[in-house]
Amino acid sequence: MSIKRVLILAWRNIWRNKRRSLITMSSVLFAVLLAIFFYSLEKGTYDRMIDNMVRFSTGYIQIQDVLYDDEPSMDHSMLVDDHITGLLDEYDDMIDVYVPRIQHFALAASGPVTRGSMVMGIDPGKEARLNDLSDRITAGDFIKPRDNDIVVAEGLANILRADVGDSLVLLGQGFQGITAAGIYRIKGIIHLNIPEMNSTTIYMSLDAAQWFYGADDRVTCLIVMPKNAGHTHRLAGRLREGIDSEWYRVLTWDEMLADLLVLMQFDIAGTMVLLLILYIVIAFGLFGTMLTMLLERRKEFAMLMSLGMKRYQLAAICFTESIFLSLTGALAGIITALPVILYLHYFPIELGGNLAIAMEDYGFEAILPIAADPSIFLSQALIVLMIAMVIGLYPVYSVHRLDIMSAKQ
Amino acid sequence: MKTVIKTSDLSKVYTNIAVPVHALKNVNLEFREGEFTAIVGPSGSGKTTFLNVIGGLDKPTDGHVVIDGVDIATMKESKLFDFRLRHIGFVFQAYNLIPVLTAVENVSFIMLLQNQPKKEMERRAKEMLEQVGLSDKLDVRPSKLSGGQQQRVAVARALASRPDFVLADEPTANLDTESAFNLLDIMARLNKEENITLIFSTHDQRVIDRARRVITLVDGAVDKDEHFERD
Repeated sequence: MSIKRVLILAWRNIWRNKRRSLITMSSVLFAVLLAIFFYSLEKGTYDRMIDNMVRFSTGYIQIQDVLYDDEPSMDHSMLVDDHITGLLDEYDDMIDVYVPRIQHFALAASGPVTRGSMVMGIDPGKEARLNDLSDRITAGDFIKPRDNDIVVAEGLANILRADVGDSLVLLGQGFQGITAAGIYRIKGIIHLNIPEMNSTTIYMSLDAAQWFYGADDRVTCLIVMPKNAGHTHRLAGRLREGIDSEWYRVLTWDEMLADLLVLMQFDIAGTMVLLLILYIVIAFGLFGTMLTMLLERRKEFAMLMSLGMKRYQLAAICFTESIFLSLTGALAGIITALPVILYLHYFPIELGGNLAIAMEDYGFEAILPIAADPSIFLSQALIVLMIAMVIGLYPVYSVHRLDIMSAKQ
Repeated sequence: MKTVIKTSDLSKVYTNIAVPVHALKNVNLEFREGEFTAIVGPSGSGKTTFLNVIGGLDKPTDGHVVIDGVDIATMKESKLFDFRLRHIGFVFQAYNLIPVLTAVENVSFIMLLQNQPKKEMERRAKEMLEQVGLSDKLDVRPSKLSGGQQQRVAVARALASRPDFVLADEPTANLDTESAFNLLDIMARLNKEENITLIFSTHDQRVIDRARRVITLVDGAVDKDEHFERD
């Protein structure tokens, strides 16, 4: 019997009991729909978080002084010498832009309030190729190169009760033990998506930061953005090969965000457990359908085998029925999920009120971003297919053990 | 006429129950090509067991069933499936058509398992349905056919692949008189025209009256083996 015949028979068989098949398919549909939604939401949230962190904080690749990552002090800042710029120029075809930064701690005080802050000394022109900082200004203006003013993140400004036009006193430890101190006028207030950054960050021009920390021509890191984010590790590997590893260190975003990634994996594992429970329920539903189908059709199987149908042919039909039932349900789930996911991907739900505050307290943006990743759809279909294949083994086993005489009776 | 089936010292004992039952006791019978035989006897006399054993569906406890020179009593299951497919046709009491297939697909089914060419399969299936008077029901599924029509499709299915013999287990038991006579007419005609050996197990006097040979089983043993001249 040809494969085509097996497929035709299996397809027709699943519609013999329309209601039962539709109920089974619906259960698969809802499971796949829920699984895709949860997984897309989780992936969307973390993708956005990583994207924000990469664009606003770490970049895809950083070149640092070899000691800076372990002990982030201005003493471990570095000079961008010809060796480094020569190396970066060598891989010009892979690099979109490299951006110097000073990223260091300082105390910020306004009136009686003092708060720890992260001073970001940036080159506004180059930084604009990394992110859209200037578009996030909520009051005042963004800094220009060589400006001596600062831009304060909205959360920090609120804490310090400071506004545009006010001044902040910054106090920190500069290069080679000097005291970094200065009064800076607030030129603008900026909203940053990452709650932790939004409550700590102060932007100033690179020149101003170098003067503040007494570190002329020095930076704490050089952020390298590859033209294709997928080539990050390849590019980092090449830079590592070319750089003087006694003095410099090349880090990729996942190495810099290792803690976050561990946390993410832990969270994803929790979701996986939930999805596993969901799929176990589905598996039992499918198994129940298979069991009922086998009991109902014992006589028919005996008849078919009496006529000369071989066990493997019958088993192939039953197995295909299981695959059809679940894959049809999974496909329907994917088709149903697709417009919902796409809509929410382009128009994510923005949370408000206490829920938004609670989300930000946990370090998340008050938004529900949904990832529209084809691999999520594919993986759910594959999971359902695997479940169906495992469940489909039962009728195969059952048909192989079927005794024609007892089944006939 | 050549011998189609030969049983020798055929016995079947059911031991998987409290008291062993001797369903067949030393049955020695020969069936020749083109015979129309009715196996009769009271309930529990061993009619169905006999059909199951000579049809290769059940193994005898002792003895031999030789079909076309091959003893199927000792045949392995995998070979037996093929043997049944090539040599034996079955008609069951409860029609047992495949509900998801149309009449013509049901009739083609055994030929399909035999991997016969598609065109030949379709031609033969249509021819057989015409023979049983169902040429207007080719594309109708079993659920839309009456009991008599379903059994006629089952007969067409059993005969379509031209088996050496057809075993029919009480084929008229669920049919009204008109349908039963209609079916018997068809089977008698095909028996003559296609020279197919038919073996029925039956209680039905209407079948017995048409059979040219009537074998009576009592308590698993052959009590009478009678031959009749019929038109």
